[in-house]
Amino acid sequence: MSNMEIRFGGSGGQGLILSGRLLFQAFVDAGKHAAQSQSYEPTSRGGFCNADLVVSEGDVDYPLVSSIDYLVLLDQIGVAPSAAMIKPGALVLIDSRLVPAPPVGDFTLHQAPFTDEAIALGSHRAANVVALGSLVALSGICDRETVAAAVRAGTPKAFLDLNLVALQRGFEIADAMEAVDTIAKVVQL
Amino acid sequence: MTATLQNLHGNHACAMGAIAAGCRFFAGYPITPSSEIAERMSRELPLVGGTFVQMEDEIASIAAVLGASSGGIKSMTATSGPGFSLKQENIGLAAAAEIPCVIANVMRGGPSTGTPTRPAQGDIMQARWGSHGDRPVIALTPASVKEVYDQTIRAFNLSERYRTPVILLFDQVISHLLEPIQLADMASLELVDRQWATGSSAEFAPYASTESGVPPMPRPGDGYRTHTTGLTHGEDGFPSQEPTIVTQATQRLLDKIENHRDDIEAYECHDTDDAEVLVVAYGISARAARAAVREARAMGIAAGLFRPITVWPFPEDALKAAAANAKAILVPEMNAGQLRLEIERLCGSDVKVEGLNRIDGQPIDPAQVTQQIRELADK
Repeated sequence: MSNMEIRFGGSGGQGLILSGRLLFQAFVDAGKHAAQSQSYEPTSRGGFCNADLVVSEGDVDYPLVSSIDYLVLLDQIGVAPSAAMIKPGALVLIDSRLVPAPPVGDFTLHQAPFTDEAIALGSHRAANVVALGSLVALSGICDRETVAAAVRAGTPKAFLDLNLVALQRGFEIADAMEAVDTIAKVVQL
Repeated sequence: MTATLQNLHGNHACAMGAIAAGCRFFAGYPITPSSEIAERMSRELPLVGGTFVQMEDEIASIAAVLGASSGGIKSMTATSGPGFSLKQENIGLAAAAEIPCVIANVMRGGPSTGTPTRPAQGDIMQARWGSHGDRPVIALTPASVKEVYDQTIRAFNLSERYRTPVILLFDQVISHLLEPIQLADMASLELVDRQWATGSSAEFAPYASTESGVPPMPRPGDGYRTHTTGLTHGEDGFPSQEPTIVTQATQRLLDKIENHRDDIEAYECHDTDDAEVLVVAYGISARAARAAVREARAMGIAAGLFRPITVWPFPEDALKAAAANAKAILVPEMNAGQLRLEIERLCGSDVKVEGLNRIDGQPIDPAQVTQQIRELADK
């Protein structure tokens, strides 16, 4: 059974686990089998944090990631623990301001100022959802409406409007990336 | 999507399984990585008329559970290795006085307070031998969130049916893993309630040798005379050191489990029919093993997986059948080699038994298991 492995990595407090859970819900709603895990350490805000998904057409055998197909990094602290697990040919998205030294390897790297985009929308706290939108739009791992439904169902009320706008902004950023492929897309070998 | 499909963490699935099984009393002391079981129970129990008590410590928690269960309420506690150590004396009392209860132990690295947030599987032998003396033990090792839910329900059923403590053993990975699970249809869920004493109170013997080996329990307030004691006791409940009575009482405790292995044992076989390299694994290590066996099969290696769900009593006959064609057995576990001892005892005279052990707080990776399967297949 071939699996798809996804990680949101960065710093505790960036909403990485919420991103993981929203995408998890989207896959479950789409009829996929999925397992979601996260870092579990005696650190919280500011320390390394990750939310991981393993998605499969059938039962998920091993639920933890070891060879990541899709990686979102919102803070430099997320790079070191994830770099060795990036699968050749993977899709990697980074926050262009908060990840000044991105991982290097045989994969496609996209960068965008997810956090600054979220600040422009009203709160840095929506950076996780902007990045989620871009990941979904760039990768096509699930359709946009399914993930939007998951955001509607899984976001606390106070953040719902912001998150829906943030998701849409994430889609737009990704669409623009495709349009200006050679500028936004950095391929490092 | 049906209304009963829920995304749950393993710890929450344990709590929800307990509620479905009819558990209405929880006493516990929060401990990583099991705390969410207590947390969820503190929310769920009041909704169904149950009682949650956060006790002052681990020992008081299991003591309160034995008290509540003696009062007729299905009861449980949850802990991790350090708390499981502290509870052993009262687990022995529950076995001796035949008080049904469920103890969930979310294993972490040890010894002592060890590595609180890291997964481990180091309590396999403690579950079997942690409390002194010859005593019956039922211990279950679920390997997924869904199985945590199902086996928690089964733990209560076995506990009630055999009037014995039942231990759930899982690890930090499963406890914090989020997976979608189908909750039980309560209308068709088979729940077991302990058999209560009926008939004449004058002739009542609280520890009578029944055909099943399980004496009906006197319900408090029904007027039966009884005695709850850890001292070895005769059928009338009075302590005794008379050799015939001691033998009979101790043997009955052991036999009531041994004679019902068919009902108690649960296991899963993957590709074991022609397996030349058999992997025996439980919990999160079994998930890695299942991926590895699939990978090995794709390489043309006749590998198989035997996964005990009931780890105690160990499904001995089923293992021997699964190992019938094996030239090697591999036992991956997150300890220095505990279940391997049991596999060697059962199969070691016929076949080579190897361990794959991690004691660094990291789960065993499928690639590690695949590598060792390949090496064993080449030998």
